[in-house]
Formats: sequence, structure tokens, C-alpha cells
Amino acid sequence: MNQNLIGRLFGQVWRANILNCGQNSFISKQTNALNKLCLRNTSFFNKLPAEDIWRGVTAVSNAGKKRGRGKGSGKKVAKDLNKGQTIGLGKSSRIWPGLNSPVIRGNELIHQKKLEENIDIENGIMKFRDSMGTFRLMKLNPIDRGWSGSKMPGRSIGPPDTVGEEEFISFDTRVLENKIVFIMKGNMGRKRRYSVLSVTGNGKGLAGFATVKAAEVRTALRKSKNRAGQKLINISLCENRTIFHDFRTDFGKTQIYCFQKPDGYGLVCHRAIQTICKIIGIRDLYAKIEGSTNLQHIVKAFFIGLMSQRSYENIANETNINIVQQQKTRNGYTEVKGIPSYNSTLKHINQVVDYMHFTLGNKIVLKQKNILPFFVCTKGHELHQIKAERFRNQSNVRLHKLVNSYV
Amino acid sequence: MHLLKHLRQLNGLQGLRQAIRQVSSAPTKPSALQYERDPQPLFTDAETQRLLQSMTQLNLDRVYRKRTVPDNSSETKFMTNEQLDSEFQDMVVRAQHMLQMPPIVEIKKDVQRVIAKDPALKDFASTKYVFTDITFGRRQSERKVFVRETDGTLEYANLDTIKRMNQLYFPLEGRQSYIPRMFALEELLSKCLTEHKYEFILDRLLVQYEPHEPEFHNISARVFEHLNESKQFDLLRSTRHFGPMAFFYAWHRCIDDLLYDMIRRDYLHNAVELIALSYKVHQIPVEYEATLTELDKLHPTPSQKALAELRSVFRRPEDQQGIEQEINTAIGKTEQDFAADEISLKFIEQYIASEHSLKKVQLELAVQTLKEVNREKLLLFQGLKKAHGVQAS
Repeated sequence: MNQNLIGRLFGQVWRANILNCGQNSFISKQTNALNKLCLRNTSFFNKLPAEDIWRGVTAVSNAGKKRGRGKGSGKKVAKDLNKGQTIGLGKSSRIWPGLNSPVIRGNELIHQKKLEENIDIENGIMKFRDSMGTFRLMKLNPIDRGWSGSKMPGRSIGPPDTVGEEEFISFDTRVLENKIVFIMKGNMGRKRRYSVLSVTGNGKGLAGFATVKAAEVRTALRKSKNRAGQKLINISLCENRTIFHDFRTDFGKTQIYCFQKPDGYGLVCHRAIQTICKIIGIRDLYAKIEGSTNLQHIVKAFFIGLMSQRSYENIANETNINIVQQQKTRNGYTEVKGIPSYNSTLKHINQVVDYMHFTLGNKIVLKQKNILPFFVCTKGHELHQIKAERFRNQSNVRLHKLVNSYV
Repeated sequence: MHLLKHLRQLNGLQGLRQAIRQVSSAPTKPSALQYERDPQPLFTDAETQRLLQSMTQLNLDRVYRKRTVPDNSSETKFMTNEQLDSEFQDMVVRAQHMLQMPPIVEIKKDVQRVIAKDPALKDFASTKYVFTDITFGRRQSERKVFVRETDGTLEYANLDTIKRMNQLYFPLEGRQSYIPRMFALEELLSKCLTEHKYEFILDRLLVQYEPHEPEFHNISARVFEHLNESKQFDLLRSTRHFGPMAFFYAWHRCIDDLLYDMIRRDYLHNAVELIALSYKVHQIPVEYEATLTELDKLHPTPSQKALAELRSVFRRPEDQQGIEQEINTAIGKTEQDFAADEISLKFIEQYIASEHSLKKVQLELAVQTLKEVNREKLLLFQGLKKAHGVQAS
């Protein structure tokens, strides 16, 4: 033991010697190293036994358990096949010097050797595995997965149940929120329930959403699905794929700016809005949320915005100006979208209105400054930029050369 | 060792490329139909241009059709009536610009022009030296390029070298230094042709070659011949290649298929123009100017027609002449059209009867069918007018 400690100490000194290749003499360094050793390493780490330390990391205190902390630790997991196995002990029992036996015993060097078969160990492991229970991790098809793992939000729970003779054909429901909520009861104290927000729709402009609470998850899911089916709203789609115009909408502290996008753009927005759009049948949209991202508020704000859309004809009549659309794919072809129905009454329009400002209600999206990475204002980065400047177009030129020389 | 292997492979590839380049003459082999004299004066003649433009027509939906672009965004705007009208006019002007026809000119001959022979400079180097004037802003055609040969001769560079130098110093977007594969390999070009991608081939041809190059003439002649067999003339209508195509047929006396197509689609006005063009090209002593001026009075030009179509959004349903408009749109023809049809039919029949037409039976049948349809339409038109009490003028 003593030898070992000295050996380690010298090791430290030797390393320090290499690191500080300085003017100090060897002896002074040695004393320094000794001093440092004495000062260090006084913490719970070398005071407590390993068992206690591990419990501190993995377990939860009693008070914490009551508050519902540490749900992850006691969870059922699939069979851990590593449990009960030791390195060096396997199906064929052998002596591996250095692994499961010392290398030198007395003056004798131990060699690798096969021992007689021992079935007990193998049986013991099998028995231990059987005692672990038959729990299996649920395997989800990647297509059925929601936003995150096997959690409910984002997952489909099928069409609402039929009511009388009304069938919900080609409907689909997706869960947006699934959480535990508590209320205080006079006799029962804290009572917990599950709250589920889901949205249902047929992908052709018919959609509804509902929040429902129930004591069990399954009941909550079913009830919310069916209630969403009872609250359907008709939303007209532009070209069966996008919204009619850009709009701004809010609910509480949540503001959403939605933008109409060309075919093939996709859904670039919050995941909840993405899910709702897929359910409604909107395929191209850009949305930016400002303020709170409370899920219930996002859903409500988005539906309010969709319902308050106006057709081109309505806007044209309201402003008494023609509405045109110029597409870059058609080389700037001016397509007339809306013409006011009583053109002759008001001839001159004094103020020229910007269409986007009009549809967004004279609000604009807050453009935040990008935070530059930490290294931008450093000397090294400047040097790098100077060095890299003459290669800045190299990849393009290379590609161009390849393309041009291709016969 | 590995490097050597790679190098050898590369060399092998290069050999393959050269082989391809040698084979490459297949699609550009001289076609049977060639312009035996310079077609340029006749092609750029104002009257010919007007005829060709009228035949091309101006379908704005076709000209501004959807294309693949990197940015496919769209912009929605408010516009007052005045702004909208000027925008419409601008659109028609832009469309006309996009329909500008590529010129048909003679194949330029390569002539060797020696400036000086200096035998003293013989073997001064193992390669030629090319000198290019790279002054900014000069036209490609007037850029001077000289070559000092290894035997000491200083001469003007040949056309191929000039084009290469121009492309080197002032590259045109889309033009390649080497022959594109679709023009180099016979099977690729014929595949394009069988898939009727005529416009694509002709567009690419315009980018890659100058109109005075033999490849341009040969490939375009090949495309037009293939078109004449497949009879998909409508694919080129409202594109910049329709005019050169019609001119090609008129020059080589094979307008009958195109004429048949025009009659069948009820473009009688265009059919008359095509016949007039062929008379003009071959200087056949038939009086066609009078018919054309008469027709021009009755027919608006393509740009006027396109503009009127655009402006129809301003029309109110409660406008006067609403009923007459409705009848016109229902029948598809106006009174003027019927009058024009009569004149043009007379002219076309005259052509069919003459010795210049080659497919008489087919054309006659087409004319007969059209006449019957027209007669029925006219009866219906007059009946409708009478029923609605619109005065016949």
C-alpha cells in the first residue's frame, strides 16, 4: 500500500516536471507537488462510500417523491442481459491470468488453464434473468411516432367515433397536448387528472379541436377526439394547398404571423401548427410565433386567424383596388386575382397601400439580430478570414470546371 | 503505385472522350435540305417578319408558362386600374421581346487570311500562340484573334478558335466549351426528337451555336424535318421558333402539312399568310397583297388580340353590347371573322387548285369540313342574333 502511494506520488512529480519545464530545481518542485496533494481532494467524493454517492445521483428523497420528482429512475425497463455477468466468467470456465486470477502467486507465474465445467453459474444467470420479469419496450412504427419518442403529442388516434349514422370518413385525429393537471377537492385533497388537447380533420378544410380532462389517459383521449368531431369548422383553402393571404392573429400573449407560400414550399412553422395544417390540408405555409408559445393559445390563435381570412374579392371590394399576383415561375406574369365590383364610384385612391401591410394589419414581424458566435471578434478568426479569402470561390469554380469538361 | 494506376485510368477515359468527339459528327451531319443561297435578306424583310409574327401568334399563357426557376416565390400587389393597364401593355411588349425570332443567315465560310509569313521564326516554339483582343465592351463578332503558327505564319484565327477564345474570356451563360452530349450523341438527340422536345432542342441549340454555324443549320433542319413528319406544329406555336420553322418549310416547298394543320385548327388567316410567304419566297406571280390587306383590316394583330384579351377583365357584366359579346363568345366568332373566313377560303382554294400544292386531296377535304362547320355556325349566329333582337350590321 505504502509503496503504491509513493509510486503514484513520483508519477505526479514526473508529470509536473514535464509540464512546467522551468527554472526551478527538482527538489523545490517535489515539495510543491506534496503541498498540492495535501490541499486537494477533500470533498464528498472521497468521504462517502460509492453506494451513497450512487444513490445520491440516481434516487430521489422521500420529500421529492411526494412532489412527483424522479419519475425516470424507478421505471420498468427491458431485460438487462449484462446483469449478473462478470468479466472472465463465461460458458467455458478458464483461468485467465490478470483477468480472473492474479498473474503471480508466490514465486510462480500462473498460465492460462481450463477448469472443469461448472453449470451452476450458467443456471444461476438464467434464473436471475427469469426473475427480472417479462416486460418489453413497446416498439413503435416510425410512421406512427409523434413529435418525441413514444409520447402522445403528435400521434394519430384515428377518426372520431360514429354518432348515430354520421360517420367520420377520411378523418384523422392527432393529439397536440397530453399532460397531468391537479385540482383540490374538499374530501380527496389533490386530485390528478389527464388533460388532452387534440385536433381532428379530413384534410380538405374541415377541422375541429377540443380540450378534455379525464381521470385516465385513454378516456381523455377518446373524449377529446369525439368532442373535436363535434366542433368542426369549415376552412376554405387557396388552391387546395395554402392560405388566402398573409395574416396576423393573436390569442392572449401569443401572436402568430402566417405567410402564404408557393407550391412545394412545405410547412415551416411550429410543430403544433404543422400538425394542424396537415390535418386541415394546408401544404405550404410559413408561420412565425411571437410571444408566448403556450400550446392551447397557439391552437386557438391559429384557428381564429384561419377563420378570419378574406377572399381576394372581399379585399378588393373593401379597398376598391385591384389585386394582382406576379409569379416568378411564370416570368412575372400578372394574374388578376380580385377586381372591385363597383369600380366607377371611387376613381382616385390617394394613398397607395402595400398589400402585405394591409393583410398583416400594419404589423410587421420582429426581426431579431442574430447573436454572433463568440469567436467572431477574435484575432485568430480575423487571421483565418484573411487566409481563407482567396479560396472563397474555389468549390464553385471546381464544380463549374467539372460540369464544363464533362463530355 | 496507386497514383500511377489512377493516371492510367484517366488516360483511358480521355481516349474514350476523344473517341466520342470523333463520333460526335453524327447528329450534325449535313442535312438534305440546305439554304442554297443567302436567306437573310428575305428573312429580315419587314413584310416576311410581319407574316411570320402573325403566324407565330401570341398566346400569353403559352409565352408566360410555368418554368423551373430557383426562386418560385410570388408577389401579391394592389394595383389601380391605370397601373394594371400599363402592366398589361408592358406584359405584351415583354412577350413580343421573348418571341423575337433567331435570324436565318448563311453558313459562314472559313477563309484563311495570312498576315505575314516569317520563316525565320520557324520552330520558335512547339505550340501555336493565340493572341486575343480582350478590350471590354467589344462585340463577339468584331473581336480580333490572331494565331502564330509553329512555322512562323501569322494569320487570322479560324472561326472555331475565335468562338473558343470568346467563350474563354467572355463566357456566355449556358454555353459549353465542349459539345453538349445531346448534340454529340446520335441516340440522345433522336430520343429527344421522339419525345417531341422540339422547343428544348432548339433553345439549347441557340445557346450553344451561333446562327451562322453549320451545326446550327443541320440540327435545326433535322428538327424541322422531324416536326413535319410528326405534325406536332402546335408545340412550337407562340414560341420564337415557329417563324423560322414556317420559313424553312416555305423555302423548301413543303408547306402542305403545316397548312393542313392550320386549316384543321381554323387558323385560316395564318394559312393565307403561309401561302403568301411561299409565293413571295419563290417569286410566284400570284397577287396576294390585296387579300392580305383586306384580311389585316378585319383581323387584329396578335399583340392587339392579346392585349384585348387581357383588358377583358375590366369589362362589366352590365355593360352595353353585353348580349352581343355573349353571342360572340358562345359561337367563338364575330361577324368580321365570318367575312374574313370567306376571303381566306377563296385564296386557299385557289392555292389548292394550283400546281404548287402537293397534298391536294387531304387539303380539299379539310377545307370542305371547315366550310360545313362554318356554315352551321353562321346559321346559329344569325339565329341567335335575331332571337335576341340585335341589329345585324
